[in-house]
Amino acid sequence: MTTHETTSEAFEEKQHQGAYIFNPLEEAEDKSRPAKRRKVSKKLNKSESRKVAGAPAFPRLFGGGESERCSQLRQKLFDYSWSQIDQRIQRILREANQSTLHQVTSFLQDVPDHAPAGKIPSAFIITGPNIASQDLLFEQLSDTLHAQADATVVRLRSGDASNLKAALKKIIHDTVTNRGSADENDLELSVSKDGPKFLNYDLEALYAHLKSVPRRHVVVAFQDSEAFESGLLSDLISLFSSWLDRIPFALLFGVATSVELFEARLLKSTCQCLYGDQFDVEQSASIVDKIFKTAVAHPEAPLRLGPNYARVLLERQQDQVASIPLFISSLKYAYMCHFYANPLTVFLADDLETEALQKEHIESIRGLPSFRRLVEMHVQEGDTKQAKLLLDDDKHLIEHVRNCMGKSRQWVVNLLRILKVMAISTNPSGDFVGLYLDALLNGIDLSDQNADFRESIKRMQPADCISFSTRVLDAIKDGDLSLGLDGCVEELESTVAFLSSILTETQQLQKDAEEKGHVLRSKYSGQNKILRATVVAQKVQLSHDAAMLTDEDKAYTALIDRLMDHLQMLLRTDSAGDMPYNEIWLYDAKTPYRDVFVPRPRTVVERALSRPHDYLGCSCCKSRGDQIMPTLPATAILYQFYLETGSLINTADLWSAYFAIVGEDNDEGLDERTALVLFYRALAEMRAAGFVKQSRKKADHIAKLAWKGL
Amino acid sequence: MKGLPRKRGKKLEDTTSNDQPEVSTPRHRKPRAIGYTTPSRTNGVTAKGETPRWKRNDRSAKKKSALALIERVVGGESSDEEADEEIAQEIYESSEEEEEADEEGRLGVDESVGATTDEAATPSKRPRGRPPTKKGGRTRKKSPTPPRDLPPHELYFAQNRPGAAKTSNNTLTSLKLLTHDEYFTLLREYQDPHKEDIEFLQSLHIESFPQWAFELSQGFSVCLYGYGSKRALLHKFANHVFSNSPDHDVHKIVIVNGYVRTNSVREILGTVAGAVDPSHKLPTGGATVMLDSVKNLLSSREIHITIILNSIDAAPLRKPGMQPTLAQLAAHPQVHLVCSTDTPDFPLMWDSGLRSSFNFAFHDCTTFASYDAELEVVDDVHELLGRKSRRVGGKEGVTYVLRSLPENAKNLFRLLVGEVLAAMDDEGEGGETPGVEYRMLYNKAVEEFICSSEMAFRTLLKEFHDHQMITSRKDVMGTELLSAPFCKEELEAILEDLMS
Repeated sequence: MTTHETTSEAFEEKQHQGAYIFNPLEEAEDKSRPAKRRKVSKKLNKSESRKVAGAPAFPRLFGGGESERCSQLRQKLFDYSWSQIDQRIQRILREANQSTLHQVTSFLQDVPDHAPAGKIPSAFIITGPNIASQDLLFEQLSDTLHAQADATVVRLRSGDASNLKAALKKIIHDTVTNRGSADENDLELSVSKDGPKFLNYDLEALYAHLKSVPRRHVVVAFQDSEAFESGLLSDLISLFSSWLDRIPFALLFGVATSVELFEARLLKSTCQCLYGDQFDVEQSASIVDKIFKTAVAHPEAPLRLGPNYARVLLERQQDQVASIPLFISSLKYAYMCHFYANPLTVFLADDLETEALQKEHIESIRGLPSFRRLVEMHVQEGDTKQAKLLLDDDKHLIEHVRNCMGKSRQWVVNLLRILKVMAISTNPSGDFVGLYLDALLNGIDLSDQNADFRESIKRMQPADCISFSTRVLDAIKDGDLSLGLDGCVEELESTVAFLSSILTETQQLQKDAEEKGHVLRSKYSGQNKILRATVVAQKVQLSHDAAMLTDEDKAYTALIDRLMDHLQMLLRTDSAGDMPYNEIWLYDAKTPYRDVFVPRPRTVVERALSRPHDYLGCSCCKSRGDQIMPTLPATAILYQFYLETGSLINTADLWSAYFAIVGEDNDEGLDERTALVLFYRALAEMRAAGFVKQSRKKADHIAKLAWKGL
Repeated sequence: MKGLPRKRGKKLEDTTSNDQPEVSTPRHRKPRAIGYTTPSRTNGVTAKGETPRWKRNDRSAKKKSALALIERVVGGESSDEEADEEIAQEIYESSEEEEEADEEGRLGVDESVGATTDEAATPSKRPRGRPPTKKGGRTRKKSPTPPRDLPPHELYFAQNRPGAAKTSNNTLTSLKLLTHDEYFTLLREYQDPHKEDIEFLQSLHIESFPQWAFELSQGFSVCLYGYGSKRALLHKFANHVFSNSPDHDVHKIVIVNGYVRTNSVREILGTVAGAVDPSHKLPTGGATVMLDSVKNLLSSREIHITIILNSIDAAPLRKPGMQPTLAQLAAHPQVHLVCSTDTPDFPLMWDSGLRSSFNFAFHDCTTFASYDAELEVVDDVHELLGRKSRRVGGKEGVTYVLRSLPENAKNLFRLLVGEVLAAMDDEGEGGETPGVEYRMLYNKAVEEFICSSEMAFRTLLKEFHDHQMITSRKDVMGTELLSAPFCKEELEAILEDLMS
């Protein structure tokens, strides 16, 4: 550190440059050495440099008392678990675009067969508002098109092409240098090989290049086509169409709104140059659903995301059209927080050795709220021995924790199976994600919750009942791959037998009823007919329904009742919060997420300025009532005045008000010039923060630009 | 978007043809228009003449007065018709006042009776105004300060009331403004009473350095926000990263000061490239070309770069194209970005695409440290006061102004800059900026057919003068000298710009 201090002065000058390389040791070192060393280090450190990039070590928790072994274990656990999840997510993202890729590719391959001459084949890809994941889509597109359709793809973003010249330059540059290998020299060569040298925005150059490297298509992809200036687009398209006889152009448009709207922005004559087809991309909502299933709800996910956290995440996704990458980052951040700051995460390791655990671990386990509940429950049940064991015997406790960890995994699988069954029901009360979060929060208990589900089961028509039973049976047999559920016929043998019997009985009853010439129904099923207009009519209908029940109907009613009872018994689970030691595998804190991903900088700055004491914690600035203390930072004082002014501020009055507070009249007041210096600085800060701007309405007046709390 | 994924739409060709323009929209609109009929009640009311004539007149008067007020507020200049305005103000305020009176229950008996009968007659239609005749001499002074503890939106409207912005006519003329020298001398002597508290606050932030480093290593970019300069803190963070990195050859740190006015894409990318390989030369061309080159360079080496960026929301980095470039740079897996922001509205700079390539983790980092390096306090304040506004901001300003001027104005400026540069070369460095004689410039301008008369010449010069693009002074002999208030490099850049 001493070296830093001695050289820091030399840096002082550098510090005000626009950009510089930070290296406090450089001055001390010989200039030639780093260059030499690099060669060596490059070979030696190949594996090590991964680690450099990897991560700085996790901190030791328990106030630094955690053993290094444990903190490393946590880090390893984090790396491993997240990389597992990440792989899954990436696979989903890649797969999500597959069908679009396939369609676009086949369109471009087939286009020469059916396209009218003189029109540019163009694919309109409706990406929706999720522009953040467009990059991945277009990257995949360009890879696939290059590999399968023998095309070079140039990706244009509105930022790259501000005018026609820049766009053409980029198109030519990218086509010529496409696919690695070619560097600047190649470009020069290919452009000026025969005869005249072309300008770098002359399509002739591209033509010349294509003569030597023929391609079936030159695909120009406008990623965010709405953001392009419409005149520029029209120009480009008409230019392309005039070159179409020499250069096989094809266009891709990423359209966020609709093709009609997009078309309306182009000239009619331009539109006529296009021969297009429209392709839809899987919408982000369904992708989020898939990610949720595989990465959050999946039983192999080491970390459960609590209902509160997940709900905040999903709500943000819906309300603010947050992007999918952001959703993934948020997931990742939850993992990071959990493993970084919770010392108990070591219990998530499968191969945790007991001797690695420290006294602190045991202590903090005993401090967990869920542990206390557990002990209290034992005491209430009169099982004081177990409670004592848990409290006194460390070994027993660790064993118990391990057992419970195993149980929690079983619990997750069970929960997912139940949800699967519930989702099968004909009238699912909400989507899977909603059901899942509800179940995490409240558990599942059909007797007093999920009335919708109960009703939908009761009202099932025989056909529905049959399909329900078969689908449940299938689900039990096959599991669900996306949720990572295996078949579980052995475990649920009784249920399988029960459902099969329900199935056959229903079929039998239906057949009997048919033979007798009437339709089988239960006493509940009448209720889902159209509501009768009046209460009386409804009652009449009801009694009518009850009266009309045949023997088969009665049998079917009994059958439905039995099914209901069985389901009630089967579909029952605790909420996540009720599980012992859930703090180890459940992450449900909203706070760091909110602050880290949804910052509220306005509020923070406003708070800092209106109550500096919150941050500074000094004794002098504690405001009494609304009094403005002279010791406040100058900007804070000005900000107080600022809050009270109208939209126009007289600087002269502002200055005299300021000086009245800090000036010589007070004890320890400042002299006028020093006060003015601080006043200047505060005013400049207000201006830089965008609170005020110059106003020409009156001399020495400034305009107010921001209102607190808006 | 419709919920029909992967469905192939109809061929675009169909819609491109002009046969059926805007098929859907009118079809939807028409039945609606038929469905909604104008409520007959309004017609009936006026037809029956239930609304007294004076009331309608009064309403229109109020409308007019409101319009006048709005015009004045929008126009922003005090017009000559001061008297008219006062009347308008009175009419407008009379209704407001009445409302307040209503609320406070101080209304006279007969008036309140009148009001209630009005209400009974046409409850929903009653205009808020009241005939000026009824008002009599009762005027209640309105308090200039709005009631306390208003919710934010109410406060906004209270403070933006038309006509509410009455400020005194005091000016700062009696105050001697600060010069740079005085400012810095006094500032050096000043002891901040909060020095210790600020240091304590900083030490709190320093404790989260390992956390930031962890976030960086996980592919997040760290963005610090909150009041106060974060430059010193970030410098400490750079030291932290530096001392914790085991090998300085594969892990470099680049510090960028966003607030430096001359900062450009080339400078930033050049420094990054230089950190990877000092011998690397950036290709000439646009930002994308340079960026590609830097990215390729990075991918070919196993060097990690931590970019520490002070004030990512400073004006030089708000130029178009800057943020996307930074975002793409930050998205590179070998680049870790830590940046600070100073304004409270910085998230508006990024759309969701940029946000996701930056992949920010935000941290409240209120430091209360003063912005010593970031702001040019004296210049900023003087510009704010409109006192000695710095001439249009350098080269960009000039280009901006010239873009809106006619061709011969551009030519004249080119001529002037050329002459000033020539004069600079003759006289060498040092001394005042050399000037060009007014006469000489005029003659040259006539020669080059820029203007034909002195009148036209002066008009052109006046335009420059308004934008403070030229200065004029008299030398000892009394001849008028014209010059441009820019340094030599800037002049050369301007000239280059004008010639191209």
